[in-house]
Order: sequence, then structure tokens, then C-alpha cells
Amino acid sequence: MDIRKIKKLIEIIEESDIAELEIKEGEESIRINRYSAAPATVAYTPAPAPAAAVAAPVAAAPAEEKITGHVVKSPMVGTFYRSASPGTKVFVEVGQSVQIGDTLCIIEAMKILNQIEADKSGTITKVLVENAEPVEYGQPLFIIE
Amino acid sequence: MNISDKQKKILSLLADGEFHSGTELAAELGISRSAVWKQLSGLSDFGLQHSAVSGKGYRLDNALELLAASEINEAVDDRAGALISSLEIHDQIDSTNRYLVERSQHNALSGAVCFAEHQTAGKGRRGRQWVSPYGSNIYLSILWRFQQGPAAISGLSLAIGVAVIRALKQHQIDDIGLKWPNDIYSQGKKLGGILVEVSGETGGPCSAVIGLGLNLFVPEMEAQSITQAWTDLSKITGQTRLFRNKLAGTLLNHLLPVIAEYEGVGIQAHLDEWRSYDCLTGKPATLFIGQQQFEGIVQGIDDNGMLLIERPDGSVQTFASGEVSFSGSALQ
Repeated sequence: MDIRKIKKLIEIIEESDIAELEIKEGEESIRINRYSAAPATVAYTPAPAPAAAVAAPVAAAPAEEKITGHVVKSPMVGTFYRSASPGTKVFVEVGQSVQIGDTLCIIEAMKILNQIEADKSGTITKVLVENAEPVEYGQPLFIIE
Repeated sequence: MNISDKQKKILSLLADGEFHSGTELAAELGISRSAVWKQLSGLSDFGLQHSAVSGKGYRLDNALELLAASEINEAVDDRAGALISSLEIHDQIDSTNRYLVERSQHNALSGAVCFAEHQTAGKGRRGRQWVSPYGSNIYLSILWRFQQGPAAISGLSLAIGVAVIRALKQHQIDDIGLKWPNDIYSQGKKLGGILVEVSGETGGPCSAVIGLGLNLFVPEMEAQSITQAWTDLSKITGQTRLFRNKLAGTLLNHLLPVIAEYEGVGIQAHLDEWRSYDCLTGKPATLFIGQQQFEGIVQGIDDNGMLLIERPDGSVQTFASGEVSFSGSALQ
């Protein structure tokens, strides 16, 4: 299971009231726990691993704080780019204030370069995707507060 | 680098590919013969080579057909003509796409068409240069505004590829195909590229600038800066005289209706035809997305126009973006 999927799952859980979630996918399984006051913890284990002596978590991510701002989501499946072309300045940095209509990023799908605009004015508090990473429909990209 | 008015004038005189004496050129331009020689030497910077033969004068190594709005309009049919709101031909411009993207922010209308003889900063994908020598190829951009958002026109890029193939076939250029999503290929080499830039609100409306670079004749010297396997129409057809204005008109005849009707019909209307031009299916290929790469056998496209690749483990994965490299086509 790749890190993006895990990140997505955490986001889904944070937006819900689910306290604990366990998913099995083939030989892998993931369990995410959340206690009301404590940060969520992630335990990621290569599931039935008879040969492995240790079944300890191989990855533990600190919980992300509860998202309070406005989430800009990807309107399509594609590749996420933070600048117009490699080596040029990124459209927005964390801490930067943006107006409605400002370009935040480009999502490329089937060689159409889509400029994604801010649909809310405010300050960019988070950039949730790395440059040149694939994104899914509805995946959170930025937080504007 | 900009072409001067004097050079433009000399080119229009020499475009026929015949010999013209230095005296004749000097008289036409109202400059000295040595100034003529100097202006001509400068033309090699634009990929235009000439020969000088004593007693005969100067001649361009390759005749040119310069773009002319009147000739393009003559080749445009009524259906496409009704969709064109403006037609501009620039001697030189940084990039026809960049120009129309800027004009789209200043209320330019759907159907704004821009050609250039020469681009000083022709754009490929992700900051790559599109080699754009003077007077030799086609550099074309079209602006169109859509009612809905970018998601509604996904797949437009594939439909554009279909329209370009139709236009070329009308000129009896048949040995061509599409490499996903829309590169124009012939015998494993790139003949043309399409770049679509979309801006607007997620929920729409949005505006799209559709750019096409098509190689007609690429001078050897200019070709040295092309970083992938390439070809041009003169190589495919064996003809050096290419009817640029007619071809420009034919391209508009096929492109404009496909663009204008896309929002109504979507990619479904173009899937069968796209598949019939597909030159990747069944080939082993590698898809590059950022730092990742995926190898497998190309299995065509799904009904949304996304690329299907059968991975070594037998699973078939769907891709919305990325760059395909197949054997016979070198990436960069």
C-alpha cells in the first residue's frame, strides 16, 4: 500500500467519527486507530507474515491536525505540478496569501495542462501533494485559511 | 532573436527558390549590395540557408511558401469559417499558445486563431522547447471557451489528434498515427505535437488554448536541437514544395468543428477513430510520471481516453498522464 493511500485514509477518518479502521488488501493490511483526545496512530504491517519474527509497526505517522481551513480538491485524475515548468518558481508557497482566481497549480491529464485556480481567498496553510505526483479525483491539494 | 523587416522583404523575394541577382535585391530594398549580403548571412540564424553563385545571384536552398491570410481563408470551408472569430499571422512571436492564453484573459473570443512563421520560445510539454525555424513548419494555436469546467473537456486532446490526422489524410499523407495521448507519429518518429492549456473555474466556464506544432520541413541545422526521433512532411512525402497555406486551411477545417462540438459529443464520438490511428497498442513501453516509471505492454485506451498498460504481473493499469517511451522512440 503506498503512502498516498495511507494519507488519504487518515484524511477520510479525520473527517469522520470513525475511531478505528482496519483494511485488508491482498497480503497487506492496515489499521488506523484514533482516540478522541489523542492523535491518530497508524500501524502498517505486511499482514500474514509467517516468516517475520517481528510484527511490529514498520511505519508510524504522527497524526495530522484536524483540518480547519478550506480544502482545495483535485477536479480530475492527473499529475500535479506546482510550477509552470521545471525550474520555474512555484505558483504558491505555504504562508502566501491568495485571491480567488489565482493559479495554485497545474494538473496534467492526457496532455491537457489545467491551471487550478483558488476558489477562496486566504492564506495557503498546507500543500498536501508533492510536485509531479499523480493525484486522484477529489484528492485534497491545498488548505486555504 | 528577431527577423528584421529587410530580411522579411528579401525572403518574400527569394521564397520562389529561384536565383535573384544582388543588384535586383539591392534595388528592391533600396540598400547596397554588400548590405544585401549581410542581411542574407543573418538569415542562417533562422535556419534559412542560401547559395550564392557568381553571375546568377542568390537563391534559397529550399523554396518557402510564406503564410498569407488570404490564401488560408481561401482554403477554409464555410463550416470552419463560421467558427473563426479572428485569424492572425505573426512573422515571429515567442509562442502562439502563450499569446492566446494572454489574449484569453482579455476577453478574446472563441475561434481566435493564431499562426506564426517563427517562434522564439515555442513550447513543448513541461518547459520543453518546440524547435520553430522560420517559414518552414506550422505553428498554430486556437482559443475556445467552454461552458463547463476542465473535467468536462478531458479527452479533448485525443480528439484534436484525430482532427489533425484527418487533415493530413486529406492531403494524401497516410503513413501516420497517434502516440497516446496525441503525438502525431510516422514510422516511429514524431511529426507533430499538441499542447492544450486550460484555465478557468473548476465548475466552469473554462477557456482552452489548443496549440499544434507540425513539422513540414526542418532544416538540418535546426534539427540538431531536437531531442527526440523526429520526422517532417518533406521526408514522408519526398516533396520539398509543401502547400503550407492549403494545409493550414485544411487543419482549421478539421480542428474547429471538433473543438466546437466537443462539449456536446465528448470523447465517445472519437474513440473508434482514435483507436484506428493508435500506433502504440501491443508494443512494450515505459510510462514516466515524475520520478516513477511503469513498464508493460500497451493495451490501447479505455473509454475515457486513458492509457491501459498490462504490467508484467498481468494486471492492467489505467493512466491519465505521463509520458510514454516505446522502442524506436527515444525520450529526450
